[in-house]
Amino acid sequence: MMYSFIKPLKELAKGLYIVLKNGFKSDVTLMYPEKKKILNDNFRGKIKYNKEKCIKCRLCQKVCPSKGTITIDKEFIIDFSQCIFCANCVENCPKGALQITKEYELASKNKKDLIFKEEIN
Amino acid sequence: MNEALINTMQINIGPQHPSTHGVLRLKVDLRGETIVNIEPIIGYLHRGMEKKAETGNYLQYLPVVDRVDYLSGFFCSYAYINAVETLINVEIPLKAKYIRTMTMEMNRITSHLLWLGCYLLDLGATSPLFYTFIEREKLLNIFEDLTGARMMYNYYTFGGVKRDIPVSMLKNIKTFTEEFPKAVKEYEDLIANNPIFITRTQRTGILTKENALQYSITGANLRASGINKDLRKDSPYLVYKNLDFNVPVSQNSDSYARFTVRMEEMKESNKIIKQCADFLLSDEKDSEINTKINPVSIKPNGSVLSQVESTRGLIECYVEADGTNIPFRVKWRTPSFYAVQILNTIAKNQLLPDLMAVFGSLDIIMPEVDR
Amino acid sequence: MGIFELIFTEYLLKFNVPLWLIFLLRQILYFIFAAAIMVIMVLFLVLFERKYLAFFTRRKGPDRVGLYGCLQTAADGIKILFKENILPKNADKFIYFTAPVIVFAPVMTVYLLIPFSQDVIPYSSNTGILLFLAILSLPVIGVIFAGYSSGNKYSLIGGIRSCIQAVSAEIPLFMVLAGIIILSNSMNLNDIVILQKDSVFNWNIFPSFLGFIIFFVCSLITLNRIPFDFPEAESELAEGYNCEYSGMKFAMFFLGEYALTFIFSAFTACLFLGGYNSPFGCYLSDFLNFPLITGEILKNLEQFFWLILKSFVLILITMWIRAAYPRFRTDKTLELCWYIFIPLALFNLMVICFIQYFRGML
Repeated sequence: MMYSFIKPLKELAKGLYIVLKNGFKSDVTLMYPEKKKILNDNFRGKIKYNKEKCIKCRLCQKVCPSKGTITIDKEFIIDFSQCIFCANCVENCPKGALQITKEYELASKNKKDLIFKEEIN
Repeated sequence: MNEALINTMQINIGPQHPSTHGVLRLKVDLRGETIVNIEPIIGYLHRGMEKKAETGNYLQYLPVVDRVDYLSGFFCSYAYINAVETLINVEIPLKAKYIRTMTMEMNRITSHLLWLGCYLLDLGATSPLFYTFIEREKLLNIFEDLTGARMMYNYYTFGGVKRDIPVSMLKNIKTFTEEFPKAVKEYEDLIANNPIFITRTQRTGILTKENALQYSITGANLRASGINKDLRKDSPYLVYKNLDFNVPVSQNSDSYARFTVRMEEMKESNKIIKQCADFLLSDEKDSEINTKINPVSIKPNGSVLSQVESTRGLIECYVEADGTNIPFRVKWRTPSFYAVQILNTIAKNQLLPDLMAVFGSLDIIMPEVDR
Repeated sequence: MGIFELIFTEYLLKFNVPLWLIFLLRQILYFIFAAAIMVIMVLFLVLFERKYLAFFTRRKGPDRVGLYGCLQTAADGIKILFKENILPKNADKFIYFTAPVIVFAPVMTVYLLIPFSQDVIPYSSNTGILLFLAILSLPVIGVIFAGYSSGNKYSLIGGIRSCIQAVSAEIPLFMVLAGIIILSNSMNLNDIVILQKDSVFNWNIFPSFLGFIIFFVCSLITLNRIPFDFPEAESELAEGYNCEYSGMKFAMFFLGEYALTFIFSAFTACLFLGGYNSPFGCYLSDFLNFPLITGEILKNLEQFFWLILKSFVLILITMWIRAAYPRFRTDKTLELCWYIFIPLALFNLMVICFIQYFRGML
């Protein structure tokens, strides 16, 4: 009887103790704009296009899940406002003309900044 | 007017509400604070996942599948890929099987950790959210290094996995598995016996065996109602046959039982990860990780149903192919869709605060409901 | 009359200022003093709570505005001043506008009742405790007004929850205070504090430890703090009674809440922890040979420091509890108050009566 009365109090005290114990451990947050996370080479960021290697096979267009992201006409266009960064195009490019980079800070005030264009002959 | 609804007040919870975990809308009839009726209204996050499959080839649909359930992308990915692999008769290498098993179990832990934090946040405790995110962050970092993204992995490919796991990462995973039980112990110390938590969760939201079977509830919710059904044991896929793990079952069928079952599941997943990591470390280094096939030109024929025991229950993916490189039909069966339906049955005649406690304990995630 | 009042009166009498004007000026000065303390404490507490919760969850907390984020509250305040005032379509306009004032004004008044040190007692009333209780039941009315007038069902539920918790939590609170009144044979807060001087063992917490616990928990309930924050339960009612308020009107609810937190801590310190009395029974200024007036001023400052320190420790515990526990359910809180706290408070009262009987005071 007495124990059933004391046990909840004990558990409440234990909760307080654990929270306090965690307080004295080191901080886990990263102060973002000053310090940035070190990224692995696999990281799927903005996609880089290499004009010299491209053979205009349009395979990247065929494997892209978000249609309209890649347009190949007189110029090569990637619309990063539609891209889902799955890197399917990079993996399936037969000549390695597309590459993933670690660039992920793509926020912009102008939507046109997100459209990558490069003329191909 | 319905007899039961006289003298009630209708209150609209959602679609924008802190504790509906996305965009679920609940029309709740209250008498005082007692719930008379709940009508869940879904569809606010419908993205046409099934129709999307019919508009492109098999590979084009693959990255989208991760978004069916964004908290456990590997499971959906596996369900779809397994279906396609069965259709084109590809056997994946053993190492790939182990990697898939391990990543899926890691994914189960991340999803459960997020559930735990958010559930306790629904109940009003703020700190546990941050503690669970600390552990979750470790796993997400491993995922990021391995697959290139934190949640939308796109890591599995037809015939295996895209990248090999380096030994250093396996060692990281092993240290994680050694430290993780301590973290779970801490969460349990913090919350499991807390009298406030117990009064909020015990004997509320009772989901009886009959109801659970009638509404085809699966996963941890079903096991918390005392029915020992787990696809990993019942019809083992991948390498689950070779692994030693238990399926936690509870007979209490209340919110607290669902909490305990999920906590135990995290420990069991941890055991599985450890065994997989041990195997991969002892395996010879250059063994195959995928069977080479051209993913763009897959042209299967026939239909297949693939199942996987995901975080929230049984995910089924039905693929019907007609010999072209575009799927004829893809149908998803997702567990949260069924869990939403049960809400009216188990939260009725309880108080409004209990609705959040019960709703949180079911581990419903909206993108999976609406697809 | 305290030393400051004496100096003040003497100084003004030199200029032939009439006595009634001196009295009025004195009260105005006291009011400004209390308001300044309130504003400083609120600004500090808002920032401090964020930092403190960040400490428990292994984060840094606000650190962008000013040195270590010290200007964060000021920045937030300026932001909130320029927010648009939104009037809901089906709001009851008059009540909607008066509700924040009804919440905020009583809190300001109660600051005058605290004996800050032996000579700084803004308003020494012989029925101090009664006044304290009476004024502190007013903010709840404002909360109910806010809940009713917003024309929002969440707000309405929040307001009603606030009402029922006030009814149930204040009864054990009164019973504990009855024990304190019996212990010190007075309802004057200053008398209660003076009786606890000289030693830690004279503090009221020892005869009525149970009373202290009950008073502390019930003050948490009255303050809507986690684990009893159901009138504004974020995950259920989306901020409850103040969810339709914006701009300065929201700020008044918010500031009122923090001001009340400090008030309750200060009163708990006065009633149970010896108020402004030093826990060592002596002051630093006793040992230093200052001239009389300087010594007295120093002593007052020391006493002020002890009061702030004691209430601060209580606030720390309040926030610590906030970091650790989930929220109680409304009906469980009522059960806690009616089935556990009221009998315990009666038991506490009985124990105190026995103690007083054996002391020969009854």
